[in-house]
Amino acid sequence: MELTFASATGSTRKYKIAVAVLAVLSVIGVLVFCLSYTLECCPWGVNNSVAWGQLITVMIYFIGLSAGSLVVSSLTYVFGREEYKPIGRMAVFMGLLLMAGAMFCVMVDLGRPEGFWRLFGFFYSNNMKSLFAINGLFYGGYLLLLILYLGAALANSKWTKVLAPAAVLWAILVHTGTGSIFGFVAARGVFYSSMKPIEFVSAAVASGLALVMVMSYFTLKFSRREVPTNMFVSLGSLLKLLIVVLVLLVAVDKLTHYYPPHRESLLFLTTGAWAWIFWGMQFTLGYVVPLFILFHPRWGKTLKGVLIAAAINVIGIFGERAALIFPGLGEPLHLYPGTVEGIWGDRGTYPVTAAETLITVGIVALISLIYLIGIRYLRVLPGESAVEEVQELAEEPEPAAAAE
Amino acid sequence: MARYGMVIDLDKCVGCQACSLACKSENNVPFGSPGEQKRRVDIYWHKVIAASEGKYPTQSMEMIPMPCMHCDHPPCVNVCPVKATYKREDGIVMQNTRRCIGCRYCIIACPYGVRNFNDKAQEETPYQRADLPEDMGLDGDKFYGPWPFPHRTRGVVEKCTYCFHRISAAEKQIEEGEDVVIGSDRPDGVVPACVEACPTGARFFGDLDNPDSVVSQLMATRDPFVLKEAQGTNPKTIYLPR
Repeated sequence: MELTFASATGSTRKYKIAVAVLAVLSVIGVLVFCLSYTLECCPWGVNNSVAWGQLITVMIYFIGLSAGSLVVSSLTYVFGREEYKPIGRMAVFMGLLLMAGAMFCVMVDLGRPEGFWRLFGFFYSNNMKSLFAINGLFYGGYLLLLILYLGAALANSKWTKVLAPAAVLWAILVHTGTGSIFGFVAARGVFYSSMKPIEFVSAAVASGLALVMVMSYFTLKFSRREVPTNMFVSLGSLLKLLIVVLVLLVAVDKLTHYYPPHRESLLFLTTGAWAWIFWGMQFTLGYVVPLFILFHPRWGKTLKGVLIAAAINVIGIFGERAALIFPGLGEPLHLYPGTVEGIWGDRGTYPVTAAETLITVGIVALISLIYLIGIRYLRVLPGESAVEEVQELAEEPEPAAAAE
Repeated sequence: MARYGMVIDLDKCVGCQACSLACKSENNVPFGSPGEQKRRVDIYWHKVIAASEGKYPTQSMEMIPMPCMHCDHPPCVNVCPVKATYKREDGIVMQNTRRCIGCRYCIIACPYGVRNFNDKAQEETPYQRADLPEDMGLDGDKFYGPWPFPHRTRGVVEKCTYCFHRISAAEKQIEEGEDVVIGSDRPDGVVPACVEACPTGARFFGDLDNPDSVVSQLMATRDPFVLKEAQGTNPKTIYLPR
């Protein structure tokens, strides 16, 4: 049976309300950004100790989700698994939007966003030893590839066969690069690890798959399409495997840093002021709860159980990113042996500010808005069922972003 | 080419912070409120940290003045994506605030915490200095332009420059044949503001490659050490122990 794709009609009330709300949130985000850029004093929480905050956390999270979505689409377009085809196009579309959202985050986070173009002076005005500059290459190429890939998938072109593996490999490269931004920094003990890039890829694939599962379920449900239960359950067992691999990598990484004498950083991560991010979010929500549900003899076989596990995992992996950035940067620098008194010896703090939060919500709203408009005008949804009515996204990634 | 470095004698240092003040006034570094200091958003090109060891009856306290370490292998230069941070030929690690895009990667990579993000637009006074000629930018011939900044740029990272404007001006004077010396080798030598301001004479500046310079001789007489040697950054700000 040939699978057809269609767009949502978007004529219902729910769809219109969702679009309106997201549009308002996006406009608020843009306004807050303009204000905080022009104001005399920057009302953000980032400071000279925790120099990267909420927006960078969301950025690496989004890049991870994007790379993960691409890997899901590869199940169809690279490995030819027809049973996953209904959500193939959605996965590519989500990958593109999440990457664009990540780029918005970086741009907004710069001290001088008008200088964003400088990141693209490859080999001329860029320092190619910098992981940031190298990632500029990766990110730029990735966006380009994704646009081509989406176009080819929409047109059912034979180029999909070539573009899909290229895009997936590139996605892995992108995330290796993103992990290297952190893993190569020797000054911060929590960052400094050769395992970081690999761990990033692994977390990306797991959380990306989980997000695609959740989002595609709600997209199918609210557009009153048939929900292929078996597909979701088999994706659930794939998710199980991916989380186990991730746990293994994280465990090896942390234990390696626990073993030798210089282990202040790991102790700060696991017992310091921000240990709740690591234990509460990364460990519990990211690994333990999803694995428990997925390995449960009954819950792991039901659509509901699998989806709840996936949703919790998506939130938990956000905790994994936060558990990298905040303890990593908040750890005192130990400038001199002994106790350094005063602010120079204290851990960094990070107040969650309204300005940054509204900008983050604005970016999330903007990409959700583009997603909603996209499924209205692009043929990304499976079009088997006759009824194509409501289209709404109940679950946006907003709760995860606002959780920080 | 000289390789400039600073030697700080911790035995002479009394922790008076004159160096921090001199740095602020010389380089037009904006002041911050106590609240801003607590939030770590105010700017310190130079700081003095106090490190204590032990408990009261047997406690020892050391004051460590910390300008930029001007590392031979600076991690900040490695990570800057837009070449805004670079090492001059004489070893001074510089920050081109006109090229900086404010990504703050260098703040994260610096093991000494000497880099600061400036997110404040300065008021017209006292930062805007009408007495200075127009700013020429940092490129080409007019490499350093007038200094301190007639206008400060907002949204960029700033750091200690070993008062490079003094050194560059002195180099020009030497080229023109004037009798000027860079470093602490002579009482009237051209040195950074913090060295000049130190009331106990605990700081010395000069060419580390010249075996006859005061800094080289001081390093030969005492056991010099650097901060966080294990990072392999090879700092040029060197300390003499108490």
